Amino acid sequence: MAQTLLWVLPLVPTVTALLMLMTRDRRILSAIDVGSSAVLFALTLVLAREVAAGGPQALSVLRVDDLGLVFLLLLVVLTLAVSIYTVGWLRQAVTVGNMKAESLRSYFALVHAFVATMVVTVLADNLGVLWIAMEGTTITSAVLIGYHGHQHGLEAAWKYIIVTTIGISFGLFGTVLVYAAATDVMAGPGAMSWSAIMKIAPSLDPGIVRIGFIFVIVGYGTKAGLAPMHLWLPDAHSQAPTPVGALLSGILIKCALLAIIRFQTIAAAACGPAFPAEVLLVFGLISIVVATPFILAQRDIKRLLGYHSVEHVGIVALGLGFGGSVGTYGALLHVVNHGITKALAFFAAGTAIARYGSRDIHVIRGLLAVAPIGATFLMLAALSLAGTPPFSIFVSELMVLRAGIGHGHWVEIAIFLAMVVVIFAGLLHHVSAMVFGEPPAAADREAEAWSPVLGMLLLAAIMILFGLTIPASFDWVLQRATEVVVG
Amino acid sequence: MSPETVQMIIDDLGALLLFTMILIIAAGQISHAIHAVAAQSLLIAIAGAVLATATGNADLWVIAGVTLAIKAIALPWVLHWVVRRLNVRREIEPVIAVSATLALAVVVVVMSFHLSASLGSVRQAITGNALPVGIALTLLGVLVMATRKTALTQMVGLFASENGIFFTAMAVTQGMPLIIEIGVILDVILAALVMTIMLLRVRSTVDADIADLDRLRG
Repeated sequence: MAQTLLWVLPLVPTVTALLMLMTRDRRILSAIDVGSSAVLFALTLVLAREVAAGGPQALSVLRVDDLGLVFLLLLVVLTLAVSIYTVGWLRQAVTVGNMKAESLRSYFALVHAFVATMVVTVLADNLGVLWIAMEGTTITSAVLIGYHGHQHGLEAAWKYIIVTTIGISFGLFGTVLVYAAATDVMAGPGAMSWSAIMKIAPSLDPGIVRIGFIFVIVGYGTKAGLAPMHLWLPDAHSQAPTPVGALLSGILIKCALLAIIRFQTIAAAACGPAFPAEVLLVFGLISIVVATPFILAQRDIKRLLGYHSVEHVGIVALGLGFGGSVGTYGALLHVVNHGITKALAFFAAGTAIARYGSRDIHVIRGLLAVAPIGATFLMLAALSLAGTPPFSIFVSELMVLRAGIGHGHWVEIAIFLAMVVVIFAGLLHHVSAMVFGEPPAAADREAEAWSPVLGMLLLAAIMILFGLTIPASFDWVLQRATEVVVG
Repeated sequence: MSPETVQMIIDDLGALLLFTMILIIAAGQISHAIHAVAAQSLLIAIAGAVLATATGNADLWVIAGVTLAIKAIALPWVLHWVVRRLNVRREIEPVIAVSATLALAVVVVVMSFHLSASLGSVRQAITGNALPVGIALTLLGVLVMATRKTALTQMVGLFASENGIFFTAMAVTQGMPLIIEIGVILDVILAALVMTIMLLRVRSTVDADIADLDRLRG
């Protein structure tokens, strides 16, 4: 049963992508979109139960363990929320002319192909398949980023495809090096399988694994948006259509983090945990520090959210670097919390931009008077992103902090805290200016559509729930995922 | 073939690969760079054939054949077609002088050899000097992409970079699993296709090279 699910899961979005090409009707397309995402969500819940009962499941090159499950759950929740949001967003975008009615089917087909490649990324056990799927996400999402077809979109898409393709070719080189180290110890095609390598990891040659890990973190780190390889990220996340931006920021960069974690476990076993931890700490700190000034000076709301993702990926890297059960648990929880919250923020920002016809923070004023529900969600998301209690990100940031203090990383903690405080002030300043105040006369005051509100409600509910308490079943998944990483 | 002969041939091919890389960096015209990267892919295919004969691994024959057909013939042909289609008259337009790039390239090559010399025992898993040559090609491909402003040259740099990875992957004892290599090549083809479409699309809306666009800042 569980093994059947392993190949059915990537198949669902693939078949959906092909189905989308059959029709041009917007309503039917949206119905298939929501239906397929709901099926994917339900199947993942079934798979989660199977894994909880029977442990990791494997089927040739695919394998699911609790670590992969954390990312898979985030992926399907976001896909469902995105599908629901898209219904209303698309109606508006077609009316205004942002999306052309005759090319909608290729848009939906690409979105589901993109989801399919991400599912494979998360489920891949074979490191080569992991890389192929990761490059697949680049190709499908690059087309989506440039989908609006204007010059800025294409510029962002070009930068994205060039920078990330070259980036993850470093990832492939790292994979080849780890494979070379593994074939040295054991023969056969199993030398590319992560679970097989983990069994022999302590006997791998530390020298080559070290170089391999550096290549991998530069490579997949590019895709994850770690500074200084993040150059594509603010452009791509801000130019992509809103639902795609939410997927990029919410889950795609997390998939790359999963790839880094897979190699981190190999490197930790082969060269001792200190080496990968130090590398992760360096990249994490650079990301947090580099993102801060750009967040403060930003005028484009979506670019602001993009740079903010760089900061949060840095926090996850810090958590992984601090290590131990607390740090790793905190990092994994942060992956989920940030994914949910950032997607919510993109949704809310997207609806605000549509109302004002501008992405400029100085133009969007008095959102609360124009669209009270959307404004509330934007404020909630911003409060959570800034790290205010009682929202979810506060909890996971606190865990990362505690892990750092527990291991005596005082310098890192000092820099981290200083930047988080500055970003807290900057972000809340920007967003409260957008939400409160007197709205301009030109703002669109039409009643809020139900579907974007429903999509946002789903995410906001999870965000608030995780701030108050983590459900016992999910806590259990996170704990076992932590064991996979820490050993 | 004896292991020594194979190692010697691979080392000679490695030297030729580095030479084609220098040609790409020093190329004054885009068509020269495309010729050089095609020659480079041809050398990779020959390396695959040599290793296939030496190890008796039939998969390597397939990889050598696919590399020859796709990377040495099809992709360069597409690039030439784009050059003709866009009527590119501009030269390469380096961001920093070609001589400076060449100096940097020498540093990269020396460092790559130094790095892999420090590895010792693991080098047995990879034939000859394929590891340092592979690292050098990959990094030099990135160097080309970083120091050139035209989209086509960036694509050439990307292909050269991937050639480096393929060279190392082939020389790993037993080679990579065939299905993985085919998947990687498929990804390269798709990426090249998408890039070409974007390039043509920007050219048809505004008369500019896509890599020249720089409105998104800050």
